[in-house]
Amino acid sequence: MASLRIALAQTAPRLGALAENLAEHAQRIAEARGQGARLVVFPELGLTGYLLQDLAAEVAMPRDDPRLVALARAAGDGAAIVSFVEESEDHRLFIAAALLEGGGVRHVHRKVHLPTYGLFDEERFFAAGTGFRAVRSEALGVTLGIAVCEDFWHLPAPWLLALDGAQLLVNVSSSPGRDVAAGHAEGIGTAGSWRTLLRTYAQLTTSHLLYVNRVGVDESLSFWGGSEAIGPSGETLAQAPLHDPALQLVDLDLAEVRRRRIATPLLRDERPELVARRLDVLLRTRAGEIPGEGE
Amino acid sequence: MSSADPVTEPLFPLPAELAIDTDAARRITTAFIRAQLQQAGFPRVVLGLSGGIDSALVAYLVAEAVGAENLLAVLMPYRSSSPASRGDAEEVVRRLGCASELVEITPMVDAYFGAPGREDASALRRGNAMARVRMIVLYDHSVTWGGLVAGTGNKTEALIGYTTLFGDSACAFNPIGDLYKSQVRQLSEAVGVPAEIIRKAPSADLWPGQTDEAEVGFSYAEVDRILWRLVDRRLTPDEVVAEGFDAALVDRIDRMVAGAEFKRQVPPIAKLGPRTAGIDYLYPRRRPRSART
Repeated sequence: MASLRIALAQTAPRLGALAENLAEHAQRIAEARGQGARLVVFPELGLTGYLLQDLAAEVAMPRDDPRLVALARAAGDGAAIVSFVEESEDHRLFIAAALLEGGGVRHVHRKVHLPTYGLFDEERFFAAGTGFRAVRSEALGVTLGIAVCEDFWHLPAPWLLALDGAQLLVNVSSSPGRDVAAGHAEGIGTAGSWRTLLRTYAQLTTSHLLYVNRVGVDESLSFWGGSEAIGPSGETLAQAPLHDPALQLVDLDLAEVRRRRIATPLLRDERPELVARRLDVLLRTRAGEIPGEGE
Repeated sequence: MSSADPVTEPLFPLPAELAIDTDAARRITTAFIRAQLQQAGFPRVVLGLSGGIDSALVAYLVAEAVGAENLLAVLMPYRSSSPASRGDAEEVVRRLGCASELVEITPMVDAYFGAPGREDASALRRGNAMARVRMIVLYDHSVTWGGLVAGTGNKTEALIGYTTLFGDSACAFNPIGDLYKSQVRQLSEAVGVPAEIIRKAPSADLWPGQTDEAEVGFSYAEVDRILWRLVDRRLTPDEVVAEGFDAALVDRIDRMVAGAEFKRQVPPIAKLGPRTAGIDYLYPRRRPRSART
């Protein structure tokens, strides 16, 4: 069986402490590789901490930064997904997740959906990414669909990634725990909401799915962890604890995606052209180009 | 309440919609306390222990988070404070095994109000002065004990403004400030705060026999249910009334919340320069190089 061992690195980043977090990442990569993991996945802004505000510019790196290259080398013939503040050549700051392999930065996803409501204020500090693209990992022999946290609170993200060829969806997250009302399965409302979304996406896209959420505390916010791996039928394959740091290992049977997609060909039966046609009408209606329809 | 005798009366009224998962709340608040200390570079905590439920709960949470040996409880009675309150505070100290210190605030407060022209100061002025003198004592002990001052105010009193600005609301961090009084009671029971403290009527203890609920004219369970609807569920006052609550009471609470907005925020600074703290100079409170070394 084509098995892929993965480590979900559920870390507690130090806010603004780039050097410390880089060292922690290198250490976890070495540890995971020592346990046979081929891919190590870290949480959103694992290299910088989440609630950066004006610190964002101070910890930003270009995507070819030597410190990222050093982490890529640490991943050896395997791969790692790490998240940091990316500064573009024209000095925009992005929340980025990079696939590191082959001794360099293979692919960067810039977070598209920046929540700016409730306890979130991301658009004040960051520019938004402009798309979702699946990426082939030569090191792992699988096509990945990488997204960051809030990206998965929008239906098109996992759908587009799967249509683009992803068989392994990866969401890296900094999800603050909130709503401790009695009656939630795991004590935190946020956790329950995420669990529901992730299973739905894995099942509807018949893909493996990795979710890596951080732990620890930034100011008032406590991050709940609970990282997990989900199979293409929506089944739980591995789950890290809530609240505590962990290096959770999971072995994925890559052939399961093929079996699932043959048995339940949901992805084959998608009708993207129908969606595109209708979206085109909706967009032109919203722009006022088609009077009378909708608005 | 699984260990309670089924025929025993509950210790307190808990409206169903306010019930929390105490395991999760306990987990989050204790990790929060540890993180505040670690990020600030302080190993210890100091707090004012009144004998009431709020400060007792925070003492228990701190002891659970970092060990009772890292907690200093300061008892700060005024001459009119109830001896029973002091007894309850001493019971908490005894059960936790933490360090404690007794600082009578009577001489400090009376020195001020004993001056000509101040002898007939109102109970409100005196109560505020007591709260602010306690703040002075706690922040001085913050230095001598090497501990951060833990806040002990709950969400209910912060929302309705039943606090003294720069008095009991002054602190380095507050682990229970997002819990309504009803939820403070629920978490207190879960962490083992003595039942007598949970059961007794909450009081600012400014004069003998005073209780919060008699003073403001409504029960905590009632105000919590209304606040939860107005604040957390974002219902309008009319919508709260439509759910069966007394219109006059809803209106009064809505005004109290609005009137106390200033107590919950950092005072405004006149904007003059290119970059102004709190407006367009925005940093986390704790960041690299900010910890005490």
